[in-house]
Amino acid sequence: MTAHDWYVENRAGFVARSLEPGEERTYRDHLIRCEECSREVARLERELGWLPMGSRPTAPPPGFSRRTAAEVLDRPNRWRWRVPLAAAAGLALAAGGAALSARREGHELKALLVARETRLAALEDTLSVLRRANMVLQTQISMNGHQGGMLIFQDAASHRWCVIVHGLPPAPAGSKYQFWFITETGMVRSVEVDAAMEHPAIMTLPMPGSAAPVMGAALTMEPAVSRSDEPTGPTLAHVVF
Amino acid sequence: MSPSEPPRAAAGDLSPQEPAARRPLALAGEASLRRRLVARDEQALVELIELASPWLLGLTTSMLSDQEEAEEVVLEVFATAWERIGALGDQHDALLPWLLRIARNRAIDRLRRRRRWRLKLARAEAYGELPADRVRAREVDEAAQPGWHVHESVHAALEGLPPDQREVVRLAYFQGLTHSEIATRLGIPMGTVKTRLRLAFDKLRVSLAGIKDWLA
Repeated sequence: MTAHDWYVENRAGFVARSLEPGEERTYRDHLIRCEECSREVARLERELGWLPMGSRPTAPPPGFSRRTAAEVLDRPNRWRWRVPLAAAAGLALAAGGAALSARREGHELKALLVARETRLAALEDTLSVLRRANMVLQTQISMNGHQGGMLIFQDAASHRWCVIVHGLPPAPAGSKYQFWFITETGMVRSVEVDAAMEHPAIMTLPMPGSAAPVMGAALTMEPAVSRSDEPTGPTLAHVVF
Repeated sequence: MSPSEPPRAAAGDLSPQEPAARRPLALAGEASLRRRLVARDEQALVELIELASPWLLGLTTSMLSDQEEAEEVVLEVFATAWERIGALGDQHDALLPWLLRIARNRAIDRLRRRRRWRLKLARAEAYGELPADRVRAREVDEAAQPGWHVHESVHAALEGLPPDQREVVRLAYFQGLTHSEIATRLGIPMGTVKTRLRLAFDKLRVSLAGIKDWLA
């Protein structure tokens, strides 16, 4: 199952608004980027447009129509005020900021360049771990009906791992995905995994500095506030070399 | 809301203060109404409120189990519609489905806020076990209501679903429960909830395809 399959499978749930709040946000973000899903969701909403009329009508209380009309018409038209206010604010900013803009522009460009160079170095570093990997492990993960997985690339030369977690929904509210190294002397807490359906979480991790050799890895679901040195929640994935 | 109930005979009458709600209009009437709304005709707004309020109140009251809150939502719907009617433009959405969609979304937003306050489950459970009339504060002459024939068609489409699919539609679409809440309530896996909902929607999109005109 690809990440996109999840969106296809959950179109009905999105239209019904029966996805969990986190899933609904993820789905809404996806619609901005996916023309196909956006089109199909709009079509389904249109085709089911009459469905709410499965509810019986309720007579409004006496005077409801006139009272409602009066309240709607008495409300200030938000757009009527927003446009001039926004324009005025924009002019003020433009006037006040003109003097500063030239100097700031130079600083901003430099900061942008540094940020991009850092990002490029990180990508090259990740790629180097993938290319030099002497061992690759993979395992499937089931989570609330989603089928995802975890891939581990081990680079013994640099003593690092590249870990890819894919196809998992965001952690439920109050929880987090926690990645662990399994060593001969026990579990060693590593990083929190920020999972999302639309893209894999990719992490380059140094192996633990302890003398005990690493035997494998695990992914668990932990309380968001947990700082425990041992897993307390359910294990979602567990791989041992 | 009771999509599984058979249609009942008219049980009352509209208030004499709401005469326009009984005036049937043709589809051409809706097009004309929409043009007048776009032109900011305030009388058109009053007519729209009179025509659509019973359906919007029926939906929101059944979802929220609270008449006053339902009226607040309907007020928000008309305020939104009045503000955005120009943006609706030439979309072929009929006015009422558009208003119903806004109303349903607002009602679900309120239900979700209630959940955050940990009040939702108690209310939803209570409502689920109460007869539909518990929240029907006022009777309406249903058969005389513009759009009643659409209700009958939708009702028939819902009745045509297998009971297990109809129940999932009722909980998801008309009570605003999430997949996991439905799975917990029905004691079935979440994947089954999703499958039933998807199969139900596939059937409903076919059976509702013939509905074109609510003001006929």
